[in-house]
Formats: sequence, C-alpha cells, structure tokens
Amino acid sequence: MSLIFLAFRNLFRNVRRTIAIILTVGLGAGALFSFEGFIQGIQDDYKDSTIHSHYGNGQVNTVGYRDTNHDEPWKHWITNYNELEDHLYELDGVDYVFPRISIAGMLKSKTTSVIGQGQGILPAYEAEFFHSLNIEEGSIEQRISNGILLGKGLAESLDVKIGDQIKFYTKTIKGKNNSGKFRVTGIFSTGMVDYDNRAFRMPLKKAQQLLKTNRIETVSIGLSDHVHWKDVADSVEDDFYDLEAVSFAVLDKIWYQNSMDWLNAQFRVVQIIILSIVLLGIFNTISSSVLERKQEIGNLRANGESGIDVIRLIVVEGFFLGFLGAIVGLSLTYGVAKGFLHEGILMPPGPGQSKQFFLKFEFNWQMLVSALSLSVLSATFASLFAGMKVCRMSIAKALRSY
Amino acid sequence: MGSKTLFKINNVGFSYSLGSQKICALKNLSLEIPEGNLVTFSGPSGSGKSTLLNLLGLIDEVQEGEIHFLGEKFQKLSTRKKNRLRKKKIGFIFQSFHLVPVLTAEENVAYFLKRQKLSRKEVKKRTREALEIVGLWEHRKKKPLQLSGGQRQRVAIARALAKKPDVVIGDEITASLDQKTGREIMDILSKLVKNKKITVILTTHDSMVQSYSNLNFHIQDGELIETTREAS
Repeated sequence: MSLIFLAFRNLFRNVRRTIAIILTVGLGAGALFSFEGFIQGIQDDYKDSTIHSHYGNGQVNTVGYRDTNHDEPWKHWITNYNELEDHLYELDGVDYVFPRISIAGMLKSKTTSVIGQGQGILPAYEAEFFHSLNIEEGSIEQRISNGILLGKGLAESLDVKIGDQIKFYTKTIKGKNNSGKFRVTGIFSTGMVDYDNRAFRMPLKKAQQLLKTNRIETVSIGLSDHVHWKDVADSVEDDFYDLEAVSFAVLDKIWYQNSMDWLNAQFRVVQIIILSIVLLGIFNTISSSVLERKQEIGNLRANGESGIDVIRLIVVEGFFLGFLGAIVGLSLTYGVAKGFLHEGILMPPGPGQSKQFFLKFEFNWQMLVSALSLSVLSATFASLFAGMKVCRMSIAKALRSY
Repeated sequence: MGSKTLFKINNVGFSYSLGSQKICALKNLSLEIPEGNLVTFSGPSGSGKSTLLNLLGLIDEVQEGEIHFLGEKFQKLSTRKKNRLRKKKIGFIFQSFHLVPVLTAEENVAYFLKRQKLSRKEVKKRTREALEIVGLWEHRKKKPLQLSGGQRQRVAIARALAKKPDVVIGDEITASLDQKTGREIMDILSKLVKNKKITVILTTHDSMVQSYSNLNFHIQDGELIETTREAS
C-alpha cells in the first residue's frame, strides 16, 4: 500500500473536514477564475464597443497619410477603391468594407452657423456594423439620400432636432464653393466633447458630389473576429504597395488603449487583494487541518515512517484536496457563469459610452490553468508547511497532542 | 526468562519545560531489561514511567545518560537507523490505539509491513498470523469504528506483532478498556511472551496488569524505587 493510496483514502476519513477544505479551495479557485472572467468580459466588451463605434477593426489609407498634414489631402486619397474592395472581400474574416471621406464646411440652421468636420459614409451599410455608436436621438441609418447625423454638441450649437433642415457649405477639391441641403436624421455622441461639438456624418455619395471627387480617403474594415486582423493587414500591404492597414487599437490609442491600461491597472490591484485573501484562506484551512492530526502523524512516525515520508503523505493529500477543490470550484463557477448568468450582468455605461450593457464572463484556458495551479499550489504548500511543522516536533509530543 | 539484556539504561535523566517551570521527569535512572519478559513500569501519574517508555521506544531523545538496545547506543544512532529500528524492531501499542481510521483491520496491520517493502506473500502471511493470534481474523474487513475498544486494541497488538519485533512497548494500554477486556488483552500479551519469546514493556497504574509481569520497576518522582521479579 503506497503513501499515495493512503493519502487518497485519508480524503474520505473526515468527510465534513474534507468538504470544508474542498469548499474553501473551490471558493478560492472560483473567485480567481470568475474575476479573471469578469475582467476579460469587460475588456472584450470594451474592445467590441470601440470596434463597433467608429473605427471598425482597422482602417486602410495611403502610406503615411495619417502621419502627415497635407495642403491638398485628396491628392493622397485612395484611387483604386473598387480593386481594394474586391480584394478585401476575398479575405477570410472580412464581413464589411466601409469607404469614407472627410469633409469640412459650415453648417447653417435657421438661427446660426457652425463650422463642422464630418465624414461621408454609407449610412445604412455602416448601421449594420457600427451598432455601438451612441445615438442619442433618431437613427444611424439615414435611409434618405440627404440625411445627416450630427454630433450632440454640434446639434445643440445649431439648435436643431430630428427632422429639421440645415444647409451645408463647403469647397470642392478645386476650391470652388458648393453647398447642399440636408435633413437631420440622428444625433450621436462619442463621449469626447470636442469631437461631438463639430462632428457630422452624411451619405458618401453626397459628400463626393459636394467635393467633386470619386476618390476614397479611408477604408474601414469590419471583421467577424479581430484575430483575422493581422492576416488582413498583411495581405493589403503585400498586394497594394501604396496602402497601409492600421488596427483600431493604434488609431484609437489615446482613448481605447489608455482606458484599457487604466482599467487593467485597477483590476490588477483588486486581483492582488483577492489573490491574497484566497491564498491565505486556503493556506489557513489546509494547515489547520494538518495540525489537527498531530497524534496520527506521531503514530506514523512511531511506527518507523521517516519525517520525509510523512511530509510526502501530507503533501500528496494537500495536492489531492487542492486539485479536487479547484475542479469543483472552477466547474461550479463556469456552470453559474454560463448557465444562470448566461445573459450577463447588467453594467453601467463604460467610458465614452451612453448605454448600459450586459457583461458576460469570458473564460479561456490560461485563466483556468492559472486559477487551478494557484489553488493547487497553495494547498500543497500549506500542507508542506504544516507537515514540516508537525514533523519537527518530537514523536512523543506529537502523540500527546490533542 | 531470557538471559540476554535487551535494554541497558545508565544514569538516564530527562527534563522538560512547562511554561517557565523546568520539570525533572527522570533522575539518574539505571536499570536493565532482559529479553523475553513481560516488564511493567508502575508508579503514580507524573512519576516518569511514560517518559522512560518514550525513550526506550526512540520516540523521545535521550538528554542525559545512556540507553543501549541490543548493544547499540541510542545516542549514536542516525535518524535513518532510528526510523528503521522503530519500523522493524519495536512494536507500539498506545492507550488510544492510534489505528488509521480509513483502513480495515487487515489493512492497518498490513500497512507498515508494506512500507517495509516485504513481499506481498510475506505481508499476507504475517497479517493473517497476527490477526489470528489476537482472534480477529474474522473481523479483518472491519474498520476501527466498527470495532469495540478491546477489538481495536487487539488490532493494535496485531499491528505491533506483525512486524516480528524484538520488543513491544505499550503505554497504559488497558486504561481505556474495562477490566474483562483488559484481562483478555493481557492474556494475549502474556501468551506471546511465553510462546514467541517477545519482550513486552508496559506502563501501568493497574494492579491487574502488574500481576501479569515477570519484572516490575516501580518508579516515583523520576527515580527507581523498587524492582520486583516474579516467576512467570
């Protein structure tokens, strides 16, 4: 009969104590696992919101376009858009290709005029992908050909509401004055006040007519999953030497990446606190249970078991308990998160967002392995610590202990 | 009665701390225990008899003086050698039995034999023999909690015997048992001493246990007061 066999049998000796330890380890493993899942859920949701609010998974421009101020920017716009679009739709994971151009000008309502900086887009098509753009009023779709979406601050400055008419004045790429009439179909906000005070969106065709160009400034790409981004970007840059593809995380570095870094820094602090509580809890429960067994350990040693063998027995037991507890805790946590809480937890709007959202726990193998190994390691280490403590006692003293 | 000396104890002293107080449990105690006897240490509580037993069983360290076991000086033994002696040469019986509760009577006896890395056949043979001596072969599949106090003590005796030790050491082994059961236990040990020539050393308060001994050492305040030899 090996030590491992005896260690395994010992698990069922004091069922109540074993259950208490398994619950403690399980709760600890579950707490670590669920918190990791919670953080991942927040990160995934935030990433998803950012992708689906403005930039898409990334954008394509001519090389160096984003980094330089040009006197005549349209000279650096994309000329072979149709070819690029065909190429993109052939790539794995590309669901949407959104052509866009920038357009600046003066917006005039009945009462006032405001300078604005907007974009020409395919409104109905973009509405299918950019569902997390915060629409305060109206609709993103702009199904009418002269519909315009206004930033919240811009709409307030113009003192207009949904259905009101405004006039838009601009210059063509050749510098000639041009204008058009628009009907306000929606009001949006991004959470960035400066941007919302001047931003607008109008149909691409209308913007191209006003600027008198058929070029495309930027192509946003909507993927089925962001994991495809690298392949898509590489393919674009390989096949179109004059174009570059940039991920949303780089385009939105100041807002997205900084927010993520800030959130992560806070989560890490909370995580360290949770980790300390969990590890101390497991350590305390396991070591107490070993220290309660001094007489039994004394008996084993009196009958010739060496200190090392006794410690090995206790450590194996601790390992079994830690493993069993962690498996129970992780399974329950996963079951609750994916069953009872499958719709997620209702959360307040995130940074830059105006809508509440359902946060879902997102788990991966790395989290599972980390929660499992931390729980098992702390149970094993607690057993080792307590085992060494008892084995340092004289056998006679251990036998006399209660 | 065997003539060879099993234990030779010379001027052994032992003290321990109880809070700030230093308790002297044994003072310059000297005696010899010949093999093949049922030996008892009697004396009031706190007299030092259990301390002496712990020293003989290598479960406490000798502080002063010398103890020789079959000619070997305890203080010179390595930890590994002490473990080996406890594993193979010294059998223990405790007042509170100290059986492994998750193992059956048979497994309790067999466990330490298997740990000695004996062959499966030898383990089986010795286990059966030991359980038959104590009359518990029929109950071999029962766990300690399914056995009476007397039966548990008999499993503990079987566990000690199965090692085929040179000496069986027991501390107040009948203290948790009624008189009748205690007598049954002593009958078993007495037969073992006679038939198997094993040395049994017990501590006791009980005159019934003492009545079985061939050699009794009466200890008081850590000193040997009286030695009584009786024909077995």
